[in-house]
Amino acid sequence: MAGGTISECKEYLFKVLVIGELGVGKTSIIKRYVHQLFSQHYRATIGVDFALKVINWDSKTLVRLQLWDIAGQERFGNMTRVYYKEAVGAFVVFDVTRGSTFEAVSKWKHDLDSKVKLANGNPIPSVLLANKCDQKKEITNNSSLMDNFCKETGFLGWFETSAKENINVDEAARFLVENILLNDKGLPYEESNGDRVKLDRETVAAESKSGCC
Amino acid sequence: MGSTTDEEFKEKLLWNVKREVKQIMEEAVTKKFVHEDSSHIISLCSTIEACLGHMLKRRAAGFLRSDKIAALFTKMGKVNSTVAEVCRKVQEQLQQQAEATRRTQTPPQEPLRRQGSSAGRAPQPLSAQAIKHIWVRTALFEKVLDKVIQYVVDNASKYYEKEALMHDSVCGPILAALLVGPCALEYTKLKTSDHFWTDPSANELVQRHRIHGAHRGQDPSPSRRPALGIRKRQSSGSMAEDRFAASAREYVESLHQNSRTHLLYGKNNVLVQPKKDMEVLRGYLSLHQAGENLTLKWTPNQLINGTLGDCHLENSIYWDYALTVPIRQIVCLHCHQRGVSVLSPADSGGTLVLVSQDGIQRPPLHFPQGGHLLAFLSCLETGLLPRGQLEPPLWSQRGKGKVFPKLRKRNSTARMVGEQEVGGEEEVAADYVFRIVYPGHRHESITINYHHTTGSRAPSLDDDEEEEDRLHAMISMICSRNLTDPSAMKDHGEMLEAQAFGGSPLSWQQGECTSHMSSCLSCSTGGSSASFELPPGCTCIHDRIPLKMLCQNMKRQIVSRAFYGWLAYCRHLSTVRTHLSALVNHNIVPPDKPCEASGGLTRDVWSKYQKDCKNYKELELLRLVYYGGVEHEIRKEVWPFLLGHYKFGMSKKDMTQIDEKITARYEQVMREWKACEVIVKQREKETQSAILAKLSSGSSIDSHVLRLIHRDSTLSNEVFMSVDDPDGGGQDTPGGGSDTPTLTTVVTPAALAPDERPLVEFDSPDSGLPSSRNYSVASGHSQILSSIEDSQSMEEEPGEEPGEEQGPRGIMGEHGRQDSLGEERLCGQLDRLATGSEGVPTSFSSYTIELLDTVALNLHRIDKDVQRCDRNYYYFTPANLEKLRNIMCSYVWEHLQVGYVQGMCDLLAPLMVILQDECLAYSCFTQLMKRMSHNFPSGGAMDTHFANMRSLIQILDSELFELMQQNGDYTHFYFCYRWFLLDFKRELLYEDVFAVWEVIWVAPQISSEHFVLFIALALVEVYREIIRDNNMDFTDIIKFFNEMAERHDVQRILQIARELVHKVQTLIENK
Repeated sequence: MAGGTISECKEYLFKVLVIGELGVGKTSIIKRYVHQLFSQHYRATIGVDFALKVINWDSKTLVRLQLWDIAGQERFGNMTRVYYKEAVGAFVVFDVTRGSTFEAVSKWKHDLDSKVKLANGNPIPSVLLANKCDQKKEITNNSSLMDNFCKETGFLGWFETSAKENINVDEAARFLVENILLNDKGLPYEESNGDRVKLDRETVAAESKSGCC
Repeated sequence: MGSTTDEEFKEKLLWNVKREVKQIMEEAVTKKFVHEDSSHIISLCSTIEACLGHMLKRRAAGFLRSDKIAALFTKMGKVNSTVAEVCRKVQEQLQQQAEATRRTQTPPQEPLRRQGSSAGRAPQPLSAQAIKHIWVRTALFEKVLDKVIQYVVDNASKYYEKEALMHDSVCGPILAALLVGPCALEYTKLKTSDHFWTDPSANELVQRHRIHGAHRGQDPSPSRRPALGIRKRQSSGSMAEDRFAASAREYVESLHQNSRTHLLYGKNNVLVQPKKDMEVLRGYLSLHQAGENLTLKWTPNQLINGTLGDCHLENSIYWDYALTVPIRQIVCLHCHQRGVSVLSPADSGGTLVLVSQDGIQRPPLHFPQGGHLLAFLSCLETGLLPRGQLEPPLWSQRGKGKVFPKLRKRNSTARMVGEQEVGGEEEVAADYVFRIVYPGHRHESITINYHHTTGSRAPSLDDDEEEEDRLHAMISMICSRNLTDPSAMKDHGEMLEAQAFGGSPLSWQQGECTSHMSSCLSCSTGGSSASFELPPGCTCIHDRIPLKMLCQNMKRQIVSRAFYGWLAYCRHLSTVRTHLSALVNHNIVPPDKPCEASGGLTRDVWSKYQKDCKNYKELELLRLVYYGGVEHEIRKEVWPFLLGHYKFGMSKKDMTQIDEKITARYEQVMREWKACEVIVKQREKETQSAILAKLSSGSSIDSHVLRLIHRDSTLSNEVFMSVDDPDGGGQDTPGGGSDTPTLTTVVTPAALAPDERPLVEFDSPDSGLPSSRNYSVASGHSQILSSIEDSQSMEEEPGEEPGEEQGPRGIMGEHGRQDSLGEERLCGQLDRLATGSEGVPTSFSSYTIELLDTVALNLHRIDKDVQRCDRNYYYFTPANLEKLRNIMCSYVWEHLQVGYVQGMCDLLAPLMVILQDECLAYSCFTQLMKRMSHNFPSGGAMDTHFANMRSLIQILDSELFELMQQNGDYTHFYFCYRWFLLDFKRELLYEDVFAVWEVIWVAPQISSEHFVLFIALALVEVYREIIRDNNMDFTDIIKFFNEMAERHDVQRILQIARELVHKVQTLIENK
C-alpha cells in the first residue's frame, strides 16, 4: 500500500482568491486551470464558488490550491472581507477587450490589500491576469507600461492569459504558487504557517482527537 | 424467463460498470488522481463483483463458500501468477488489518484535518467498504484488474454457466476492455478522508451519512432484540446490504475513543451468558459517550482479539452475541453483589442487569472482583450528567470516592432485602436498583432543553407538543403552589404534595412499561411513597434509607428541578416571543381542513374556480398551493394570479384590461430604452475611434486614455465606494464627462452637484448611485424624444427583427466583437444608424451624460448575464434570450436608481420558462421584484434575513448553533446569501424551483411572510448531522451547499419547512 512511500511528503493548502470585474472570465480561468475545460456559458457567479487544484509541486511537496471564485459584482463590502479572510494569494483579473475592467484593477487591489494581510503585515502576493488575450485588439497595453503598473500597484507580475485558448493559465498559477511558497519558507511566522508547523509536531496528538467519520 | 431477460440483465450489469468507469475516469481527469477511498471506487468494485458473481458455477470447487469472489480469486490464484500476486496482497492487507485492530491502545484514528504533513503515519485501517471489496479493489490498485478479468473471460467455461456474462463472447471481453482505463490510473492514499478541501465531495458526505446514519439511526429506536445495531454481514454484496454497512471492522474500531465518542469506561473479561443454554463468554465492556448519548457495548473477546481468521471475522457467530445498548433505553439497573465482605465491601464481583423501557432485561453482565461494578456505576453516573442521573445517587465518601448508597448506612436501620436472599444472607449480599432519570427529559416533565430535541428531530412534531403540554400543566402547578421560595416548603403535607407532583411523570412512564418495569419503579421510589406494598412478582430489592433523609433529598431535587425548569422555559419562551413572533402568522391554516390539501391545485379545482370565480375563496386556493403546489400544466394560468398580475376574483374583462394596460406600458418602455441604447452605442463607437485615432497618431496608451475608456463604459465600482480613492466616484459623477470631448450635452446644474459631495458609505441602503441624479429631467427628455422619434423607431423595429441574427455577423470582424449577443445586435443597429440616421444630434442632447453612462453600464451587465443565463436549459435559445434581454432592459430602465444587479436574470428566467409570454413575464417579474429587490445589495433585507436565520437556528437547534460559533463564527450566514438572493433558484433544478417558488409566494397569506427562512432552515436541518459530524467551518459549509446545488430532495425540504413554521407557530401560540 501507498502508506510507506509518502512519509517524507509535505502538504500545503493555500487559499487563493480570484477577483476582478464581472464578466472578465474569472470562472473560466478557474475551470480551465482546474478542469481543463472551457465554455462560453458558465453562469454568473453569485456569492462565491470554489475549486480545488492539486499540484504535485515536486517529489516532496504537494500543494493544494483552494481557489475562491468571488462574484465580480460583489457589492457587500463586508462580504468580501469575510471571503478574503486567511487568503495567502490572489489573482486579479481584467478583460483586455474592455478597458474599464483594467481601470477597476487598482480598486480591487486596494480592496484586497486593505482587507487581508500576511501575518507579517505584508500584502498577500497577487498576480495580475490580462484575460481574453486571444481577442486582443490593438489597444492593449504595452508591456513596459504594464510592468510599471504592477510595480506601482504592488503586483508580483502580470500575465496575458486566455482561458479559451489555454494560454498562460498554468504559468500564472505556477508563478503565484512559487511566491506563496517563498513567503511560507522565508517567513516562519506563527500566523501564516503556524498551523502547519504545529500540526507537524502534533500529528500524533491530533490523531487521537479527530476523525471525520 | 426468456433469454431476452437474461440479455437485458447482462446488459444492465455491463451498463452499470460502464457508468462507474466513466465516473472514475472523470474524477481522474478533474482531480488528476483518484483517492483510494473514493466512493466511485466502491461503486465500481461492487458493480464488477456483480458481474463476476453472475451465474458463477455453484459447484466449481469452494464456490459454496459464502464469499464467492474470494473463492474465485483463490482458485484462479493457483493457476495464474497475476491472480496469485493479488491474493498475496490481499492476505497481507488483512494481516496488517488484524494487527492494527489488536493495537487497542493507540486508536487508529484519522489525523486532524487540514494537517500539513502526513509524516510517519501508520497504515490507515481499511474502511468497511474497502474490506468488503478487497479482492477486486486490490486487483484494481495493483493495476491488474483488466488482466484478471481477461483471464476469467478466457477461462470462463471453467467457472461459469453458459449464460453467464463472463461466458458471453461479447460482454465478457467488453468488460475486460472497459477496465483497461481504470487500471491505468494512479490511485493514492496520500489524502485521507479528512481532506475536506477535496475529498470527500458533498455527494460523498451525503452518501457516507446515509450509510452511517442508517446504522446510527437504530440506536434511539427501542428494540426487542438485545443485540442491537449489529448485523451479520455477508460478503456477497448486493446494494441493499450497503445500507447496513456497520461492518465488523468498523464496529471494533468504534470501541476506541475518537473525536465524537469518548470512552468513559472499559473493562475486559466481563462475563456474559448471551443465551440460557450457552457457555459464559468473556468480553470487553465499554461505555461510550457521543454528545448526549451514552452507549454501552460488550464485545466477546473472540471478536476483539482477532483470533478468528480475518475471512471469518465478519461472519462470526459472535456478532450475534455482542451487545450494544443505548443507555437512553435503559430505565433501571439491577445490581447484585455476592460475597460482600464486611471489611472491604467494594472488593467483590458483581452482576449488573440492565432493564430497558420496554421491560426487557438484557443479559446479565458479571463483573470480576475488585470493585469494577462500582467503578462502572460511578462512570455511568458521571456520564449521565448533566442531563441524567442515577437514582438513588451513589454516595461520595471522603477518601474512598463513590460508594454504594447504603453501605454507608450499614449500621443504621437499613437492611438489605433480597427476594432470594431474604432471611439469612443480609450480611453477604447487597442488591440495588438504580433508576436512570433525566430531569430535563421525558421522565420528568420539565423540558429545559426543549429546543435540542425540536431541532434535531424536526419531523416528530407531536412528541414535542406532548412534552410541552405536560410542561404547561406543571408550570401552572408550580405557580398555583407558590413555590417561588423553596425553603418555605417545610410542612410535611406540602412536601408530599410536591412528591405527588414529582411522581406524576412516573405514572405516565408506567403507562409505557410492562408490569415488570412498573414494579421496579415502585421499588425505587418505594422508600418515600406512603403506600408501601410490593407488587406481586417483583424481583427487586428494597432499600430502606431513612425516610426523612430520602424525603428531604427528593424534596430538594424536585423543587430545584422544577424551579430551574420553569426559569429556563420562561427565558426560552421570552426569547421565542421576541425573535420569532414576527416571523410567522399567528393563525394556523391546517393542511386538512376543509379538505386535504396535499394534492395541490389541480386543473379540476382551477377550472371550477374559473367558472365561479366570484364565490371561490382565494385563501382556499392558496392553501392548496401551499400544501401541494400547482399542477404543472396550469402554472402558466395560475402564476400571474399568485404574483399579483391579476387579482383573484377578477372578471375576464378586467383581466383583458390589465393585459392591455401592461402591454401598452411595456411597449412604451421598450421604445424608451431602445432609443437610448442607440445613443449609447453610438457614443461608445465614437470613443473607441477616438482611442484608435490617438493610437495611430503614435502616442501609446496612457492612463488618460484608460480613463477615457473608463468614462464611457461599464465599470461597476460600487465595491469601492468606501475606499478613500480620489477617483472612486468618478464614474458616477457627471463632472467627469467634461473629459469626454465628443459630446455636447445638456447637463443640468443639479446633476453637477454630486461632484462636490462627499462619497457615501456604500453600506448604507440607498448608496447605489448619487441621489441627486436628475432622472425626472432625463426621463422627461427621453419621453419627448421617444415621441419625436416614434416614427423613426417604428421604421427601425420591423427591419431589426429579421436582421438581428444574421446581420451583425459581417460587422463582427470590423468591430472585433464576438461574444455578445446583445452587442451583435446593437452593432447592427448602430451600423444602420451610422449609415442613415438623421435624428442623432437631437437625441444626443436629450440625455445627460450620467444617464448615458448608467445605461451603458447596465446594458453591458445585462448583456453579459443574459448570454450566460442557464444555457444548459433547453428553453434558452438565442431567440428566447433576446426576449429575456428585452424584459430585463425594460425593468432596469424603469429602475435605473438600482440598476441591473447580478442575479436578476436568474429570477426572471423561470418566469419566462413558465409564462412564455414576454409581456406577461415582464409584468410578473416587476411584481416579483417588489419583494426580491430588497434582497439585493441596495435593499438591506439580506442582513435582516441573516439575523433572523441566526435567531431561528439559535432557538430551534442550539446544538448546531453552538457548533457554528465554535467554528470561527460563521453565524453571519453567508452560506445562505445565494439562497435568499435568488429564492433558492440556483440551489434547485428548474422543476423544483417552480414548486418552491409557488409555496414562497403563497406563504405570506398562509403561514409566514418569511417562508424562505424556513426553507433555509430546512436545508440546514436536513444536513445537520453531516454539518455537525464533519465539524464544518465557514468554508466547508459554503462549499458543501455549493456542491449540493440541484441535488436536494425538494418535497422533503418543503415538508420540513412547513413543519418548522408550524412548530414556531405553536411555540408562540402557547405562550
